[in-house]
Amino acid sequence: MIVGVARESRVVAALGRRSLSVQFRRAQLLMPTFVLPLLLLAVIASGTSAGRDLREFPEVSSYLGFVVAGTLLQGALLAGLTGGIALASDIEGGFFDRLLTAPVRRSSLVLGRLAGILGLAALQMAWFLLVALLFGASYPGGVLGALGAGALAAITAVGIGGLAIAIAIRTGSMSLMQSIFPFVFVLLFTAPAFFPRDLLTPTLHDIAAYNPLTYVVEGARGLLQDDTSLGDPLLGLAAAVGLAVVMTALAILALRDRARRA
Amino acid sequence: MSVRGLERAFKGGITAVDGLDLEVPEGEIYGFLGPNGAGKTTTVRILVTLLKPTAGEARVAGYDVVTEADAVRRTIGVALQEAAIDPLMTGRELLLMQGALHGMRGGQARKRATELLDRVGLTDASGRRVGQYSGGMRRRLDLAMALVHRPKVLFLDEPTTGLDPTSRSALWREVRGLNDDGTTVFLTTQYLEEAEQLADRVGIIAGGSLVAEGTPAELKARVGEPTLHVDLAADADVAAARRALSAVGPLVDCADDTRVAIRAARGKATVPLAIRALDDAGIAVESVEVESPTLDDVFAAVTGSTLEGAGRGSSAEGQA
Repeated sequence: MIVGVARESRVVAALGRRSLSVQFRRAQLLMPTFVLPLLLLAVIASGTSAGRDLREFPEVSSYLGFVVAGTLLQGALLAGLTGGIALASDIEGGFFDRLLTAPVRRSSLVLGRLAGILGLAALQMAWFLLVALLFGASYPGGVLGALGAGALAAITAVGIGGLAIAIAIRTGSMSLMQSIFPFVFVLLFTAPAFFPRDLLTPTLHDIAAYNPLTYVVEGARGLLQDDTSLGDPLLGLAAAVGLAVVMTALAILALRDRARRA
Repeated sequence: MSVRGLERAFKGGITAVDGLDLEVPEGEIYGFLGPNGAGKTTTVRILVTLLKPTAGEARVAGYDVVTEADAVRRTIGVALQEAAIDPLMTGRELLLMQGALHGMRGGQARKRATELLDRVGLTDASGRRVGQYSGGMRRRLDLAMALVHRPKVLFLDEPTTGLDPTSRSALWREVRGLNDDGTTVFLTTQYLEEAEQLADRVGIIAGGSLVAEGTPAELKARVGEPTLHVDLAADADVAAARRALSAVGPLVDCADDTRVAIRAARGKATVPLAIRALDDAGIAVESVEVESPTLDDVFAAVTGSTLEGAGRGSSAEGQA
């Protein structure tokens, strides 16, 4: 049993390493994961900072420090999605068949890919928080708060990755995966990614309550600003972990179903 | 390897494999020959556990491909069509990953990767991304990846498609070497020359079923005996030549006025007999050629059609 777990752990680690290293060799995947969220952050931070003067806007130490939680969430969504795109590329190119002929648990193939997504998301979060810090964001929650917010977003990336992997396994189509990109923004903007929930329109406010990403971004914000009135970190953790567990299970089931139907 | 009544139907009523029976003993190179769409790749995908049969059973190294798929995967090495290798990874990285997939620890995987890179002549290119490799290099790397865990049975699906003659010969040498080491090889190909050069036995598949099976020599013998063609000098007496050669073997009709042909049951051994007979009769000869039936002739005889790439299997065995 222990030998089996150790063996599968090595498999997951090897697949995760491969997934992460290949990500950095694909320029078309680096742009959306490391640059696009910062561009959006720059636009939001400079274009909507006047919103801070609204009566309902909470007291925060820096506007950039407030909105960067949305950037973490966007990074998590894009990390998960690009993981799904990379898997679809493996399926289309036949590389995934090579993995399927290896004597490993089918779940390890999914977990390996998710490990890569987790690693990618961790690097993204550190990058986003650092860049925002250099441009004047302040994090009253300190290093621990920043680590906690990054961890929440990285776990969320695993959840989104699980969903993207499930779709990639079902469809095996890279172009279809790429066409999902706009939906990332739907998920992002139906959560209070860059504005407090109370400032959203009533309809969006109601929708946001059903979007688990709402609790992640609010929890991250609470940790960064050391203010639980902005969001409950435990609720954020529950949402992120719940999403990760459910979507990972969905991805593993999709792979088992594919094997059953082969 | 044992296959009984194997069938695989796809949606839309297409039956790619239709009642296939095969037996491949340990240590053999089995050539699975057929044109595109004959069912070769579907058969291989079933045998390597990527597809499930819709009927029948298949066992590889004694394990059932459906109920003991994991045991099959531990036993086999697979190089599928078109060398599906991630072009963004280096050769060494791919071998290390393959080692991890087969349960090797870091040091063990590194040692094995170094051995295999040396074996397939890719040591100098091991740090380069595979996208920069030539087709032959990719195929060699693909083969090396299939060998990481020292498999008992190696599946090669059209391993030399698209390769130049030099790369093809190099790969053939490697496959022969592996077989000499005791590895059973199941090789699909649409190239006659490849089947003749490598395979101990050949199975011909058409329309999803095995239509002929045997050693290349046995299969060709079923079609007919070799023919010896003699091209005479311009002023030679054709009638005298026909008389002389009829003592060596039965005459065969020949459209060309300066050519005489006989059946050559003994193949190339007939050549000196024919030359001597013609020399004794004082007949000058331009050239002599023994033409044997090819696997394409066998394929044509059993299926009524010809194989793609048939021209690559030369028919001329000997010339004088």
